[in-house]
Amino acid sequence: MHDVISAFLDNEPFDAEEFSAALATPDGRQLLVDLVALRGVVQPALTAAATQPAASRRTHWLGVAAAVVMLAGGFALGQWAARGNSSSPETAVSATSAPEPTANYRFEPGVNWRETSSTGGH
Amino acid sequence: MAESQALFLTCRDSLVRYLAGAVGHGETARDLAQDVFVRVVAATRLPPTDPERRAWLFHVARNIAIDHLRRERHRRADALEAEPVAPAGSGPDTALMVKQALAWLDDLGRDVFLMREAAGLSYAEIAAACGLTPDAVRSRIHRARLQLREFLQQPIQTARARPLRTGLR
Repeated sequence: MHDVISAFLDNEPFDAEEFSAALATPDGRQLLVDLVALRGVVQPALTAAATQPAASRRTHWLGVAAAVVMLAGGFALGQWAARGNSSSPETAVSATSAPEPTANYRFEPGVNWRETSSTGGH
Repeated sequence: MAESQALFLTCRDSLVRYLAGAVGHGETARDLAQDVFVRVVAATRLPPTDPERRAWLFHVARNIAIDHLRRERHRRADALEAEPVAPAGSGPDTALMVKQALAWLDDLGRDVFLMREAAGLSYAEIAAACGLTPDAVRSRIHRARLQLREFLQQPIQTARARPLRTGLR
């Protein structure tokens, strides 16, 4: 089984004869080196996984960035549209002229309202 | 209470490393570590010796990780997500390959391996945490390593080209 090699790597008690026999074969020696290399591969990956930044925070900042881009884009588009409108004389005229009234109401004193005197007033 | 906090603080980093390997995500691992902390401080009595306390702490952590993984599997099944795919042994992101390789191990094999590699527990402590004998732990860890060796052939070959060290970091 060669699990004596794992015991050796893990600083656990192991049988010297068993370990010697395991290393007597090329496969055993190859396994020892591979398992040491495996540790060199796994350890940094485990550390990286444990210190991995929060996905929710990344998502949060992506959302904030998207909102900023949309606001800036909207502002720039508005500025561009405003510049485009002000350069057109027809649009400028129509923007400054008042619309035609749809109804006229006239209020006459003594008919629609009556002045009354009040104490202390005018 | 103070003893519980001291135990948790002493083991927190190794606990998060173990949980990150078990659930595959650092932020989730930190959340689960908080769950472990709540359980630990709620305990009315701690085991008498340090090795027993560490084993008990990781026993609690393992149960919490198992519950989390069970919920995740239900959620994945509901969402018709695929099971983890065995890595092909090549690719640019070694950390991702290790994560996939760990996900491919059986739960117990992954736990005993991570308790050793990520948390540095002894075989006796792992045996107490997982309800096994130390011999069974030795066998399980070795089997997990053989499987990972198969999955991670390419990164192992790359690592062999550099100077190696045997000790845990």
